[in-house]
Amino acid sequence: MKTEPVNNAAYYEQVEADVFAAMQKPRATYWLALAISLTCFGIGLACWGWQIFSGMHVSGKNNPVGWYMYITDFVFWVGIAHSGTLISAVLFLFRAKFRKAFNRSAEAMTVIAVMTAGLFPLIHLGRVWFFYWLMPYPNQRLLWVNFRSPLVWDVFAVSTYFTVSAVFFYIGLLPDLAIARRRITGIRQWFYRILSIGWRGTAKQWSHYEKLYGFLAAFATPLVISVHSVVSWDFAMSVIPGWHTTIFAPYFVAGAIFSGCAMVITLVVPMRKILGIEQYITVDHFESIAKLLLFTSMIVGYAYILEYAMAFYGGNVFETAHFMFRMLGDFRKPYWLMCFCNVLLPLTLFIRKLRRNLVYLFVLSLFVNVGMWLERFVIIVTSLAHDFDPYAWGNPNWSWVAIGITVGSFGMFFTFFLIFVKVLPVLSVTELKEERAHETLHI
Amino acid sequence: MKRFTFDDTEPFLAKLRELLATGTPVERIEVATPFPVHEALLLLKTPVSRLKFFTFTGALTGFCAGFALTIYSATSWPMSHGGKPIVSLPPFMIIAFELTILLGAVASLLGFLYLARVPAPKYILTSIEADGKFAIFVEEL
Repeated sequence: MKTEPVNNAAYYEQVEADVFAAMQKPRATYWLALAISLTCFGIGLACWGWQIFSGMHVSGKNNPVGWYMYITDFVFWVGIAHSGTLISAVLFLFRAKFRKAFNRSAEAMTVIAVMTAGLFPLIHLGRVWFFYWLMPYPNQRLLWVNFRSPLVWDVFAVSTYFTVSAVFFYIGLLPDLAIARRRITGIRQWFYRILSIGWRGTAKQWSHYEKLYGFLAAFATPLVISVHSVVSWDFAMSVIPGWHTTIFAPYFVAGAIFSGCAMVITLVVPMRKILGIEQYITVDHFESIAKLLLFTSMIVGYAYILEYAMAFYGGNVFETAHFMFRMLGDFRKPYWLMCFCNVLLPLTLFIRKLRRNLVYLFVLSLFVNVGMWLERFVIIVTSLAHDFDPYAWGNPNWSWVAIGITVGSFGMFFTFFLIFVKVLPVLSVTELKEERAHETLHI
Repeated sequence: MKRFTFDDTEPFLAKLRELLATGTPVERIEVATPFPVHEALLLLKTPVSRLKFFTFTGALTGFCAGFALTIYSATSWPMSHGGKPIVSLPPFMIIAFELTILLGAVASLLGFLYLARVPAPKYILTSIEADGKFAIFVEEL
């Protein structure tokens, strides 16, 4: 590990040099990772093409399980997006210092994950070319969308979320793009010149900038809560046993932050190693995020227990029967694996030594990612497969196409993230400098 | 135009104080810094940003637009779904809430671009003086 410079000016130079060194020509491992991601992405696109060509029966959906893997993927990816906003906006409002290590990668993750998620409602549609029917637009028959339907709320929530997080990401990047404009030469410089829109950092510009950043953080905070609440209402507004419950909104929001924190760990542990920025993203930072992971895991665990408490004390036979099915029925394996990954395994984070062991955290985060995908799968599929009338029960069909598209979504996510780490600075250089100045300034 | 550049905040602020103490009027001084230096903003008496008016206007427009869109479209072809009222305020509130945030954020962004005078073609096309330094520019008479 390099020693930290005593002089502020030398520190500023070193932060810039270290962060921009990470954007230099990639190593072989990077190309390998990109090749794997692109292959998966390609597989996903091919499967989607096949599904459009041959019809929806290849997706494994059937009657009664009309919502299957694509909706699971949608909820999963929207959830992944959430911790990005939490880290960048909520922790900003709370002035939590450890956010500086993660905020840029988490914000990028948010934007990419919402893009990935946004594709799934389209993939789920039978005739994807009519997706614009979701939008309220005046047509010749005066048929508007039904604003009392949660699916339409989702269109508004997710598109607002994408717009606001993209703006927030870009505004956070702006001063760093100005640094990139100065440090990067040749033809690539023009890219940063245009993106940095002539930012100079005058006193007036900074005063407006700080206001804007604060406002965006203040907007993003209630937004992030509303988005996953609305996603949860896609389910909770129906009368299906297992879905029709009032705890869904907070339960989903906590789960979203939980899965997002896990994905941040999954991405940042290898990233800091490969890019050589261990000095700026330290074990202390990871410990803070591990605590957040532990906390949200306990909320999720509490929600799992509460669901059963409500089903059994509520006295509704359909609810009771449904939750027995969830625990002991055809989908018991994903259910118990989900409990293991999301509730039991994160409890080990109470041990400080494990919280500070990055290899352990990385492996744990993979388990949580799997667990949170399974959570959505269990909620969606078990409820539809086993509703009120035994005559209408049924399981979905096994589908390679749906699995291929799910793999493809991971490929898309990692491809975009890998492009991000080489094109944009992965740490907020400006904020790191500012923090250092605050620590050393004596007035 | 006189120019002073520094590598750190302390000498930069010292020079700024000195300039102000020797009677250089605030209007003739412009500073550029790699990150916000609040002391400099205070010394230069930078006015409080007017961005909030843009934000408020955008948010209010979004809120009204959300209700206007939902109520107008629900009443223009009234269709009863499960006996729910045609104008159901709780679900419409969700649309109004999302649009409040959407238009509030977009108006804030546009307001910022206008107030901070970016994109500035002049500074995109030419290189910027003292880029990345703590710089003080004093306009000479």
